[in-house]
Amino acid sequence: MSDHSASPPPLGPEETDDLAGEYVLGTLSAEQRLDVERRLPEDPKLQEAIWAWERRLQPYTAMVEPVTPSNRLWQRITRTLDDRETSRSSAEERATHPGGLLNRLWHDLTLWRGVSLASIIVAIGLAATLALGPGQTPSSRYLVVLMTPQHTQAGWIVQASSPRRISLKPIGTFEIPPGKALEFWTKADDWSGPVSLGLVEPGETRQLSLDDLPPLEDNQLFELTLEDDSGSPLDRPTGPIQFIGRAVEL
Amino acid sequence: MRCLSPSGVRFKEVRVTDDVAASNPSAADHGALLEACARGERQALQQLYAQEGSRLLGVVVRIVGDRGIAEDIIHDAFVNIWNKAHTFDATRGSGKTWIFSVARHLALNHVRTRHREVTVDDETADRLDAERAQEAETDMQDHFDWLGHGDLDRCLAQLAPERRNCLFHAYVDGFSHPEIATRMNRPLGTVKAWIKRSLAALRECLS
Repeated sequence: MSDHSASPPPLGPEETDDLAGEYVLGTLSAEQRLDVERRLPEDPKLQEAIWAWERRLQPYTAMVEPVTPSNRLWQRITRTLDDRETSRSSAEERATHPGGLLNRLWHDLTLWRGVSLASIIVAIGLAATLALGPGQTPSSRYLVVLMTPQHTQAGWIVQASSPRRISLKPIGTFEIPPGKALEFWTKADDWSGPVSLGLVEPGETRQLSLDDLPPLEDNQLFELTLEDDSGSPLDRPTGPIQFIGRAVEL
Repeated sequence: MRCLSPSGVRFKEVRVTDDVAASNPSAADHGALLEACARGERQALQQLYAQEGSRLLGVVVRIVGDRGIAEDIIHDAFVNIWNKAHTFDATRGSGKTWIFSVARHLALNHVRTRHREVTVDDETADRLDAERAQEAETDMQDHFDWLGHGDLDRCLAQLAPERRNCLFHAYVDGFSHPEIATRMNRPLGTVKAWIKRSLAALRECLS
């Protein structure tokens, strides 16, 4: 069931409806939910069955007392949307101004007050060699600067020469506590959860192929979390985020 | 790719609807607001938030049991609603159904993956089940004031109260099978079978 490459066996009409009903009701396990979400894009009958249960049950959410959101919540939502729009418009700008990438990186990095100057210089230096260096191919390339969650330090750079091959390069030092490991994850906007790209060693450059995943896309999230030394026991992160960033298309 | 003049006209229509909605929220046309979101009209998202934010937050707080986490989920839900508004298909259900499903599934994914992976070994599970089966008194009381909310009322009425309770502890509280078994003081296998049969009975009743 959890095998990514094999397509799941087809379901009969009653099985489909049972699965849809339990999915909407919420009684499926995390694994079963992921399985449903993987089936969905290619299973119109399952989509229809889920919609039918959503339509039937949604009116009963009215039994729950409303809770007034804090004033900050709407501001947070608009800030997130504004940030994304800024990224998008600077992507358009980049298409016409070759120096746009550096301007944008500078803009992004200086936005995070308190970022170590050294890490900005390293990040921009790397970006510059990537964007303007020799041997640049016309195919799309991506860059991710992985920062600490408080944006005080850049720790890693992900660069992709193609949407299928990426490399993860350290640009700082990181001490892993005993018995722990750093696990590398990625998630595009419309994936239901992050996918593990394996464990990484501090200070070590890793080449990875994304053959089992959809091609890399703009704004795709990358993160490194601190897990037990054998990695997360679940199919998603269980430990705290150490470094996080989003892909920028060069 | 924004089409300015038609969207302007649409939005005026939406606002007229919304004036009605001020006195009667259910009259608001969520589907039209989602279409406006898909065209990039931020005010439409704000209207959805103004109309449904507190109800959505209520639903999510009930499932995740933590106000702060629930607000994080509502944040993600509205970002998703904005980004995916173009995928909303009005032929499959209402805009309201869609936005509630976006928020609920984020909340369910959260509780299933993070907090409630409570597992007990088989022996303990068997012992608990045996105890529950002995202790379980007949619970004929409804735990939820479910009547009068939807078209499913007629079919829900044909289920025994404790089976309705199982369905709503799942749907409203976001309880997993083991959590429902604990709450209902019934063996896990019984609860699983009840839910499966209840869904089949509802399907039968609706067909």
